[in-house]
Amino acid sequence: MASVKLTNVKKIYGKDVVAVNDFNLDIADKEFIVFVGPSGCGKSTTLRMIAGLEDISEGTVEIDGVVVNDLQPRDRDIAMVFQNYALYPHLTVFENMAFSLRLKKVPQDEVYERVVNAAEILGITEYLTRKPRALSGGQRQRVAIGRAMVRDSKVFLMDEPLSNLDAKLRNQMRAEIILLRQKINTTFIYVTHDQTEAMTLGDRIVIMKDGLIQQVGTPTEVFDMPVNLFVAEFIGAPKMNTFKTNLVCENGKYYVTPYGAKIEVTGKKAEMLKERNISSQEIILGVRPEHLTLAEKNDPAAIPCTVKVNEMMGSELHLHVYEDNGDKLIVRVPTVSLDDEQRKEMVFGSTIHVTFESKVMHFFDAETERNLLV
Amino acid sequence: MKRLNDLEYLKLNRLQAFLYKLKLFFCAIPGFFKGIGLAILNFFKNCGLAIKNEFKDIFTTFTKGNWAVKLSFFIFGFGNLYYGQIMRGLLFLLFEVVFIGYMLLPSGGIYWLSKGNWFQTGATVGTVQGGFQYDPIFDVDYWVGGDDSVKVLLYGLLTIIFIIAFIYTWRLQVKQCRICMDITAKGKRVRSGKDDLKSLLDDQFHKTLLALPITGILVFTVLPIIYMVLIAFTSYDAAHDGYANLFSWVGLENFNEMFNFGKGGLGLAFGEILSWTLMWAFFATFTNYFLGMFVAIMINKKGIKIKKFWRTVLVMTIAVPQFVSLLYVSKLFDSSGIIGKLLINWNLLPQSMVDANQMSLWQNPLTARILVIVINIWVGIPHIMLMATGILMNIPQDLYESSRIDGANTIQQYTKITLPYMMFVMGPYLLTSFVNNLNNFNVIYLLTNNSPLLNTQIGSAGGVSVSHTDLLITWLYKMTLNSAETKYYLASIIGILVFVVVAVLSLIVYNVIPSTKNEEDYR
Amino acid sequence: MNNYQLKKRLRKSGLGAKASRRIGNTAVYIVLILITVIWLFPLFGLVLESFRVEATSQQSYLWPKKFGWDNYVRLFTKTDFPIWFKNTAIMGIATAVLQTFFVLCMSYVLSRLRFKGRKGLMNIMLILGMFPGFLTMILIYKVFSDLGLTMQNAPIGLIIVYCASSGMGYYVSKGFFDTIPKSLDEAARVDGATRWQVFYKVIMPLSKPIIIYTVLMGFMNPWGDFMMASYIIHENSAGMNVAVGVYEWLSKTMVNSNYTMFCAAGVVVAVPVTAVFLMLQKYYVEGVTGGAVKG
Repeated sequence: MASVKLTNVKKIYGKDVVAVNDFNLDIADKEFIVFVGPSGCGKSTTLRMIAGLEDISEGTVEIDGVVVNDLQPRDRDIAMVFQNYALYPHLTVFENMAFSLRLKKVPQDEVYERVVNAAEILGITEYLTRKPRALSGGQRQRVAIGRAMVRDSKVFLMDEPLSNLDAKLRNQMRAEIILLRQKINTTFIYVTHDQTEAMTLGDRIVIMKDGLIQQVGTPTEVFDMPVNLFVAEFIGAPKMNTFKTNLVCENGKYYVTPYGAKIEVTGKKAEMLKERNISSQEIILGVRPEHLTLAEKNDPAAIPCTVKVNEMMGSELHLHVYEDNGDKLIVRVPTVSLDDEQRKEMVFGSTIHVTFESKVMHFFDAETERNLLV
Repeated sequence: MKRLNDLEYLKLNRLQAFLYKLKLFFCAIPGFFKGIGLAILNFFKNCGLAIKNEFKDIFTTFTKGNWAVKLSFFIFGFGNLYYGQIMRGLLFLLFEVVFIGYMLLPSGGIYWLSKGNWFQTGATVGTVQGGFQYDPIFDVDYWVGGDDSVKVLLYGLLTIIFIIAFIYTWRLQVKQCRICMDITAKGKRVRSGKDDLKSLLDDQFHKTLLALPITGILVFTVLPIIYMVLIAFTSYDAAHDGYANLFSWVGLENFNEMFNFGKGGLGLAFGEILSWTLMWAFFATFTNYFLGMFVAIMINKKGIKIKKFWRTVLVMTIAVPQFVSLLYVSKLFDSSGIIGKLLINWNLLPQSMVDANQMSLWQNPLTARILVIVINIWVGIPHIMLMATGILMNIPQDLYESSRIDGANTIQQYTKITLPYMMFVMGPYLLTSFVNNLNNFNVIYLLTNNSPLLNTQIGSAGGVSVSHTDLLITWLYKMTLNSAETKYYLASIIGILVFVVVAVLSLIVYNVIPSTKNEEDYR
Repeated sequence: MNNYQLKKRLRKSGLGAKASRRIGNTAVYIVLILITVIWLFPLFGLVLESFRVEATSQQSYLWPKKFGWDNYVRLFTKTDFPIWFKNTAIMGIATAVLQTFFVLCMSYVLSRLRFKGRKGLMNIMLILGMFPGFLTMILIYKVFSDLGLTMQNAPIGLIIVYCASSGMGYYVSKGFFDTIPKSLDEAARVDGATRWQVFYKVIMPLSKPIIIYTVLMGFMNPWGDFMMASYIIHENSAGMNVAVGVYEWLSKTMVNSNYTMFCAAGVVVAVPVTAVFLMLQKYYVEGVTGGAVKG
């Protein structure tokens, strides 16, 4: 149970390969923080620096107010779950989980109690005398988590713990980690490349790219107010649709003009644009697929496009539609809102019309790709 | 005894757990033997059942088969020919003709079989003893050839194998006939000769590939081994070489000689040699194993430079043929060798050895034994080092990272991860290596040059001079060298005993080390 | 953990870690250098003594007083060594080829094909392997001497002995084949290949390391074998391999006049074999490690 503070942390491999640059973050006690980003963005490296598995090139890492840069991993009082589980193949599940306790010379009674407790929480009691080889992927994962759990450490680090599981198990384990978190109340730092995990698990999310923090915020913040195009596209699935278009300011009213349509910006977004005194310019407009709605043909705000791919997901329909110039948009249509007639129309080659409201628009600078409203 | 369930077992501390396991182990021993007994019983039961079914099947084939099938009971391949499998039919027929011809020939199968006096204790192998006869015309004794026991036994054995093959082939072709009949009755086409040939490259590809290697093994391993096992029950030695003097069946007398611990028996020599053989194999295997691993860990340590150089130095000694390096090293320690002289000149030899006029390390039983083990380290470390290097590189790095977080220091990482991991992976190899060392002829024979000799009471074990460093295998070798002391029957018994030792050992190890059990585990 | 303890730990693991690593590395270097000396000493000594001119017997000093080629000249002109060398080389090459063929067939079948009796076959070979191989030599010698394959014809007999049963040594290469994914075979079979085509079009090209390893082992075998060879050769100089031939020179009666020549012979044998071996070292290592891990 401890806070973690990273100040100007930098990781340089060799002479000039910068893996992590100028990383500043305050992690509060008992917070669940998630590092997310595409592979190679430096999230794992940062985690390993906190764990003490990588040297810190510059800056400081503090755990509970103590600088730990020069401490060995064993002296940092942390627990870690690895991507490949890192279970000792020659030890049984029990021995794997008891490994750290035995190193600390904890008496057998207590070892037994702690391991069996953890095993009960994770539901692996019946496998305690097996070797890891005789377990399935999900069970191994639980053992790896259990091994970290028994330690009662200040910080709980997890390095892509679910990425080796199949989709169904992953969903299940994700839910279990949420439950687990309520049971063991400690500081979590969780690394993943999967934005769904990040959104569902984290109190706060740190989105990284090329060794730099892009944005730190709660799931709602990063979803509603992405600071730049990268974050906007990374968070949310399917990813955000973007249009290269113009923001036009006429008589104090703002319009966007995607693909010949002319849509007025109203309400809060217009106010915000006005506040920031933004003039007519080329922008990148972002609209999430679930915010695109079907429109009437003769609506001036309607954008005509051709259906190319029709993915029936059950509760909703994902349409990949193409503009005349080849740009691709994705539209998510809830199936409840469609009648049979409409559904039949949305097949390969047919033309549909979509539009969107102003409150779901995101404006990004065409050159810097920064959000104009942040 | 009471068995604990998992949770109860895990509650035990280490000592208790160890005692519990020990108890379990000893309690399992009767069960183990019972299991073996049951397995053997079951085996015979199954064999009996299989034979019964086979006879039943043959009977129904005969009663239900049409005339072609019935005829094929007497004429091989007739059914095949009848149903159009010309190639198979002709091959079967040819086999029958050859077999009958061979058996009935004047000096054919029946002739050889009848000469064997099989297993009649006291009777000779072969019936006609050769001898000199006086030729009055030229006034010389000339040799009138009799039987050669070696050949009688060999041809007899071959004939028996031939008969077994004949019965098997007969059964095979009868079965095939019936299958042909069934297929034709269903209105399908039987496989033609062309199909057969084609399938040799596809479905039956294993037969094609295995044909030559298996033939080689049958002729050059299986046949000689069966033959030598038979020899153990005869009196085959230099005096009874089968030609000048027929040798005879002696029953279990040879085993009596081997296990006779009184005067004139070989029991003491055998005990001495066996105990040293086991001792040697144990030390040779484990010194190499631990030191080799240690060297590998040193070379692969982080921050050590020119790793390739250190490795190549060691690999050099694998490359140099053993007879060169071993003979040279043996001579180094000789009383006139460089190191041997050094020991003498600097008075490094123990006084007791000097008093006994043992002027080199090779001449004292204890030092000679220690020296072969030490030199064997020189021979063996490179092999283990290479292997251990491969395994070290395969140990997932995150195990070490995880253990660092769990609080292990460098030494604990070695004892708790590296070492057990290696043991885990190399368990099966240790057994192989142990067996190889049991039979390590080169190191012992080339190094020690047959010294120091065992004391004369038991030293002339079976007529050959045996040294303190002799293994069962070198003893066997000496026993067979063509000389007046050659005792093939003893060699054969030693061979069988080596087999027993290895088999018992393997059985135990296979039951103790789980990783040797399943070949697919490593996939 | 209070701050004081922490500071103490910091001191211990901070600067201390690097220094202790340096000390550790130095110790390792010292041991490795020691090992190098011990391991190379006999090889080094062998070469030096082979150039000794002043005496043909063992001396108590290593460095020759006079260097020269005398021993080598004597080796090639006054002894049967050239014959032995030729014999061994022929055996080496023949064994390498035949043994590789046998071993590959066996291990491929046992690793990748599934058929009735496969397990039984493996068990039988396991049991046969428990008998000392030398036991078979008694009968083989008798038969071979009748066939005229011993004494001066021993090389032919020995090639047969080395190769005929070599299928039983399939373990290492089976271990290698086991690591090639089974799906590769299946893909090829779905693509229309027969099992034979899978063998020579898919698996063989992938098996270069293990083929070279097997060839290397086959080639080395006759150079190091003493037991089988001495038995079949039966003291006939024309049929000897180098090991058996040279062994005689070190007997009590001959060692004083032949010791340095033995060293020369050792060098002549060791140099080409070692050269080949070091060249193909990579494959040997792959074979050894692969086979051991698989068991």
